[in-house]
Amino acid sequence: MAIKIEKTFQVQEPLDRVWKFLSDPRKVAGCIPGAQVTEALDDRTYKGLIKVQVGPSVTDYRGEAHIALLDNEKHEIQMVGKGQDVRGKGSASMKMTGQARALPDGSTEVVTVSEVNVVGLLAQLGARMIQEVSNKMFEEFTRNLRTQLQQERLVGTEQSSTSGTAPQPQPIKAVPLVLTVARESAGRLFRRIFRGSGPR
Amino acid sequence: MLPKTSPEIGGMGHSVKRKEDLRFILGKGTYVEDVHLPGMVYGQMVRSPYAHARIKAVRTEAARNFPGVLAVITGQDLEKAGLSWMPTLFHDKQMVLATGKVLFQSQEVAFVVAEDRYTAADAAELVEVDYEDLPVLVDPHRALDADAPILREDREEKTNHIFHWEVGDRKATDSVLQSAPVKAKLDAFFPRCHPAPLETCGCVADYNSATGKLTVWETSQAPHAHRTLFALVAGLPENNIRIIAPDIGGGFGNKVPIYPGYVCSVVASLQLGRPVKWIETRSENLQSTGFARDYHMTAELAADRDGTLRGLRVKTLADHGAFNAAAQPSKFPAGLFSICTGSYDFATAFCEVDGVYTNKAPGGIAYRCSFRVTEAAYLIERAMDVLAQELKMDPVELRLKNFVPADKFPYQSPLGWSYDSGNYHAAMNLALEKIGYRDLRKEQEDKRQRGELMGIGVSSFTEIVGAGPAHTFDIVGIKMFDSCEIRVHPTGKAIARMGTKAQGQGHETTFAQIIAQELGIPVADITIEEGDTDTAPYGLGTYASRSTPVAGAATSMASRKIREKGRKIAGHLLEVNEEDLEWEPGKFYIKGAPGKSKTIQEIAFAAYTDLPPGLEPGLEAVHYYDPPNLTFPFGTYICVVDIDKGTGEVKVRRFVAVDDCGNVINPMIVEGQIHGGLTEGLAIAFMQEIAYDENGNIQGGTFMDYLVPTAVETPNWETGKTCTPSPHHPLGAKGVGESPNVGSPAAFVNAVVDALSHLGVKHIDMPITPWKVWQILKAKGVAE
Repeated sequence: MAIKIEKTFQVQEPLDRVWKFLSDPRKVAGCIPGAQVTEALDDRTYKGLIKVQVGPSVTDYRGEAHIALLDNEKHEIQMVGKGQDVRGKGSASMKMTGQARALPDGSTEVVTVSEVNVVGLLAQLGARMIQEVSNKMFEEFTRNLRTQLQQERLVGTEQSSTSGTAPQPQPIKAVPLVLTVARESAGRLFRRIFRGSGPR
Repeated sequence: MLPKTSPEIGGMGHSVKRKEDLRFILGKGTYVEDVHLPGMVYGQMVRSPYAHARIKAVRTEAARNFPGVLAVITGQDLEKAGLSWMPTLFHDKQMVLATGKVLFQSQEVAFVVAEDRYTAADAAELVEVDYEDLPVLVDPHRALDADAPILREDREEKTNHIFHWEVGDRKATDSVLQSAPVKAKLDAFFPRCHPAPLETCGCVADYNSATGKLTVWETSQAPHAHRTLFALVAGLPENNIRIIAPDIGGGFGNKVPIYPGYVCSVVASLQLGRPVKWIETRSENLQSTGFARDYHMTAELAADRDGTLRGLRVKTLADHGAFNAAAQPSKFPAGLFSICTGSYDFATAFCEVDGVYTNKAPGGIAYRCSFRVTEAAYLIERAMDVLAQELKMDPVELRLKNFVPADKFPYQSPLGWSYDSGNYHAAMNLALEKIGYRDLRKEQEDKRQRGELMGIGVSSFTEIVGAGPAHTFDIVGIKMFDSCEIRVHPTGKAIARMGTKAQGQGHETTFAQIIAQELGIPVADITIEEGDTDTAPYGLGTYASRSTPVAGAATSMASRKIREKGRKIAGHLLEVNEEDLEWEPGKFYIKGAPGKSKTIQEIAFAAYTDLPPGLEPGLEAVHYYDPPNLTFPFGTYICVVDIDKGTGEVKVRRFVAVDDCGNVINPMIVEGQIHGGLTEGLAIAFMQEIAYDENGNIQGGTFMDYLVPTAVETPNWETGKTCTPSPHHPLGAKGVGESPNVGSPAAFVNAVVDALSHLGVKHIDMPITPWKVWQILKAKGVAE
């Protein structure tokens, strides 16, 4: 299943700080719930891991991500990645572009476009479910990003993450996430019915 | 005319309450899941997440070492035993557990057996499989392209093409289509759907190493055929195999094939010497077991300007998935699809079907359908509306003009069938009258003036059921007869055992009613048993509406054998010649002296206590019935819909179903069957599809996405009947279980297209979801 996810968000930090953060895969990975960079193969290719919990079982998706484009002038980054569940339950590949630009008020806007191709159990949940799950993930990601940037500013640890030890990632809990999503979808459905407005 | 029996006897035509319902309602039935044996262990399937991938390694150590796990069986293990592949029911083979590569998502890869089902499920998660993904083939139209991946490396023919099948006169049809003044063409896709029975598939396999006997409790619509296949494939002596199909919660064709789970359970039981239970989850059932339809069809009609039909040409592409696991008679690669000339008197017709492999679940089973008849009925009934639109003619008028007239039966169709009986005008006229057709058309006209969307859809289908005559019909070589064995006890009560197996149809009542009709023994005094191959006579099982036409006829014939023996006994008891006796349901009496009689109960007692000299004791009979022809039930369905321009929602306002299934055994059961079948037809037309994305991921593999209608979605069904008995069936009955599912999809779709026809809409493929309708409304500029 191929889906395209377009997201735009703003961070109350100047462009150069945001860009520096975003162009460091280790830092970005630290904001993705459940994700971790395990090894740098070269300065543009990384091995990584995402833990996803479906019900009681935790699954590790292992894969590689490669920075295909890193334009410090235009503040644009393009990444391609492919990962496989270590137990062979499915796989996912992704192509993501991100571009950051300064806003007049001194904050930064980030526009991302991701094309994700999912195979396996997750893909069976249906496009709309994955869309909602990725929305949730993105929300969490941007929240983490903002917090990280804020912390860096407060404690002045603005340095390359390669020297630090990465914290153990917590798995993404797919089921609670799905349940939240289902609740929200249901809520929307009910509101729609009672308002009697247009279809889904 | 059949003699009328008293309500106490409860023969043909009485709405006897279903004898089996009390135990179902009270939860006292025995389904496979209710079978608990000492020492029983549980199996869990490991399935492929990929639609097409090479298996590089299957690592089972972690699962094997998991506490409570007893065995992990892989394709390689089965290969050593020569069991990694098994024959399908249709000239093909399929993998039991994958070796080499997987060919569809959810394909069976390994089987984990553990002390309890939770351990088995947990351990299945620990089986690690290395896959290397391969290009996926989802679109059947691409299956024969030069650059399409070849899916079946096991076959000698390096192509995704399975079969080409044609029937009729190609040349004459081509020429008629070329010269006809009016032509209509329809491209229609009958989507992949799934019967989704209430109970999923499952089994308990129990091999007794002391006796060498293998007993398998199994959700099987055809237990005898399964026994023979197990004997042939596993090399076990057939007398040492006992298949028991206990109570079954719906089958609809889904429980005809043999599935890998059954085979793995048997292998595990042989290996462990313990009973092994395997029960599918809902998603496993939807994703891996027999689907139905997936036919990409084109129909072209030729007609004169006055609407007289001249010819029909049909071309179809059949998507069978990874293995051709169609459950259908072996001489018919496209089932009985050649019934596609329907209720109409065509002089010329031609039909061709090509089957292809894709990376989807295997199957092509007959979902509440006599092998591709639903597809055929849908196609012709939809095409008739397209032609009516082309001719600017009322679709009812077009149908009435072209029906096979009642005096033309038995009717020889241009595609080779001999229709036994029919009166299509009568069924249509009754349906028109019941629904008030003329008034509805007026109402529609008024509503259109006001911009409201209302449609009327008609479907006048002809079915072909009761497979089938031994000269043409077999499944894996076994002729499609069926059987009944009746034993009348000394006290006049009886037990009958059948080669069929009900899954909710009510056989325990209807077969008892046939015996009651023939022998006058009250329904309450008759026990019907099915499904145990150690006790029941051999039969091909229950599907394709064949129980009444075939096993019902066998029941009738076996009863008549008993009656003839009873005549001899009655003559002896009444001290007259047999020829001097008359029969009425329940007793023989002396001609001209109705007071001098012997009841069937008295005769039964005498069969064990007071026999005429030379007559064999006992009162039993068995009959294997080979039907001389199929039966051809028919009907007219009319549907009225209103469409919400804001939401695209289609509301079925009224639905009239007039069915003719010949003489009726139990009107209440027939009505129940029609309600159920119409509801399934509604689901197919509006709600259901097992769709796949471009990577072969199943998009309808859970009840989140594969919708099942509830009372909320189901409209009020109005039923009616005409009665045209089958001339060759001993009771004049035809079979009815499938008619509503075969006939209704076209009525629903015709109604929706009719509501939108003035906007230029000519066809909409099922399922007609609100989203699909709303997009059309938006494109036509009428959405609100």
